[in-house]
Amino acid sequence: MSQTRAVVASAKATSSGPLLEVRDLKVWFPIRRGLLGQTVGFVKAVDGVSFDIKPRSTLGLVGESGCGKTTVGRSILRLIPPTAGQIRFQGEDFLAYHGQELRKLRRRMQIVFQDPVSSLNPRMTVGNIIGEPLEVHGIARGEEKSRKVADLLATVGLDPTYASRYPHEFSGGQRQRIGIARALSLSPDLIVCDEPVSALDVSIQSQILNLLDDLQKQHGIAYLFIAHNLAVVEHFSDEAAVMYLGRIVEKAESRELYKNPKHPYTVALLSAVPEPNPRPTKRRIVLPGEVPSPSNPPTGCPFHPRCPLTRTCAAQASAQETVNISVAGQVARVMSKCVESMPTLEVKNNRADHVAACWFS
Amino acid sequence: MTKPDVATRNSKPLLEVVGLSIGFETNRGLLRPVRDVSFSIYPGQTLALVGESGCGKSVTSLSILRLIPEPPGKVLSGQVLFEGRDLLTLSQRDMRSVRGKDIAMIFQEPMTSLNPVYSIGDQIVEAVMLHQKVTLDQAMNIAEDALHDVGIADPRRRLSEYPHQMSGGMRQRVMIAMALSCQPRVLIADEPTTALDVTIQAQILELLRKLQRDRGMSILLITHDLGVVAENADVVAVMYASRIVEVATVEDLFDRPQHPYTEGLLRSVPKLGEEAERLVTIPGTVPNPAKFPVGCKFHPRCARSRELAAKSPPQDVVTINDAGKPLNIMKRCTTAEPGLGEVLPTHWAACHFIEGHAKATLSLPELDHRREVQAETIAPEVIA
Repeated sequence: MSQTRAVVASAKATSSGPLLEVRDLKVWFPIRRGLLGQTVGFVKAVDGVSFDIKPRSTLGLVGESGCGKTTVGRSILRLIPPTAGQIRFQGEDFLAYHGQELRKLRRRMQIVFQDPVSSLNPRMTVGNIIGEPLEVHGIARGEEKSRKVADLLATVGLDPTYASRYPHEFSGGQRQRIGIARALSLSPDLIVCDEPVSALDVSIQSQILNLLDDLQKQHGIAYLFIAHNLAVVEHFSDEAAVMYLGRIVEKAESRELYKNPKHPYTVALLSAVPEPNPRPTKRRIVLPGEVPSPSNPPTGCPFHPRCPLTRTCAAQASAQETVNISVAGQVARVMSKCVESMPTLEVKNNRADHVAACWFS
Repeated sequence: MTKPDVATRNSKPLLEVVGLSIGFETNRGLLRPVRDVSFSIYPGQTLALVGESGCGKSVTSLSILRLIPEPPGKVLSGQVLFEGRDLLTLSQRDMRSVRGKDIAMIFQEPMTSLNPVYSIGDQIVEAVMLHQKVTLDQAMNIAEDALHDVGIADPRRRLSEYPHQMSGGMRQRVMIAMALSCQPRVLIADEPTTALDVTIQAQILELLRKLQRDRGMSILLITHDLGVVAENADVVAVMYASRIVEVATVEDLFDRPQHPYTEGLLRSVPKLGEEAERLVTIPGTVPNPAKFPVGCKFHPRCARSRELAAKSPPQDVVTINDAGKPLNIMKRCTTAEPGLGEVLPTHWAACHFIEGHAKATLSLPELDHRREVQAETIAPEVIA
């Protein structure tokens, strides 16, 4: 145990390489049909996602429902087994670990869930919820455990005497604090925050975001911050990645992404966020149609049926370069290239850390 | 900053809620989720009712259409006037002809508010035939037009589909089509886009704005999202713990918030493109309707009361227990509940410590105002 601690400490001290490296991650769920349950296809929930998370930093993962952002978060913790790809944690191949060793490594990565009600066992006291990981990993028992639990409660801004209470006695924001205390109990290096504030009231969200921020500064934790609220992600992340239908379509340093978005989906997503300003300055881009089903994605660039940019380009292009498609009952002229082949992530704006997957941006 | 035009129109309010109080009989006694709520909506106006969970905004909207279950619910006092007629005194039969026809409602959950065992067409036709003297064929045509108006492709075929065959955004469109099929004068939209993704939210809000422009209907928009409020409302009423604490035009509310709760709320939301190291927060938790604080219900969380207490003589200050820690606030906040007073011209707020609150007249907020700048949208075809 003390050995692991030493490893953790040294890892935190040297912050050169990435903490987590994800390469070409794929999570496919089989679609089974018929009496024998034959696999007739796959839902490609995550299809070739790569990113790094540096120690003590935050990567924001944004996207709409069904884009695969939650599946990414869960599969890097191996709560959902990845179909293919590589996950390296502090340089070690995480997917090669099994049994006891996997468990040991897992204590260094934790998760905070969206729903603070269903993610806490209603029949356990708060002290047991937070203390259970300590016992399971053989870190503390009895007196020492209680002392640690009291410390953790104080760290997340709750009264240490709450340890004997049950989850139903708390409000949503307080329950989320309990969930965060549980994730902190094993002093992890990485916490996956899966929509940690979206179920909370507006006045409580900022409290939790500030708490997560403080914890990062004090304990040197890295976050994978999954959210659909772009303003929250911009505020909270060092780097942000936008997902659409199981793929990252754009990734950049957070400010850069918001100032100079390159992918037309990012542009539309940013414009769609209502601004708290009674005299709105920006014009909303209303995308036609809906997010397609990942079991039957469009050919070529998966965004082409809704893409404003390909329409603009098609309006100026010659007839042989374009093709007509039908979207939400209307015919649209788009570039053939977008329908035929899938763009890969390429460097944009001459910045090595800004990549987007679009033929025409 | 120009002063919004008020009192230039002389139309009458279409819907007025006057001094509405609602009680719920529970085994822990009478809960009062809505107290003394008053507001008025003018023809073609959008009034946003903003607040957090448990503040009473949804109970208020349900009680306008008398949809709260009685018992345990009960209207303790107040009136809901639609074109001068008090809906609370109507018979059930008369009320049925108001619901859907004069005032329609759409809900947050498009999944649970549609009946899964009837086709979309059956559900719209039912509403149409209840309120209009038409044949089944005519009703089907009205339903088809309604689906077309909300931007659903191939409406004839969609009529025979069932809710589970549609996506969330599509179901919300169906809900809106159903609500609008009888040309209501007022639409109550209770968190209409909360369950939807941002790009779909943008579609639905644009649709509501367009329908309002075309038909001149009034909208009561209930939401917790300040961005949605800022871009869609003409007038805003902020609710906190069962009461309205501030009413103003949308421009006034965002430019010059008067109540410390509104102020805190506006400052605590992260804004796109704004560089802020740390978010401003409102301390404490949203109060539970079973145990609202006495006096001003916001006092345990109020920054203004704390600041004032730090520079006031001891006899004006009281120490309260803030989650185990002592906290000094103004004594007045814990003894008397402030009324909603007109603290600035056409700007109402309920706080003892707004300059002019003591002298303000406790009048009913009436604001015939339309927003200065409309939110603009671009369809993809015209993007340069």
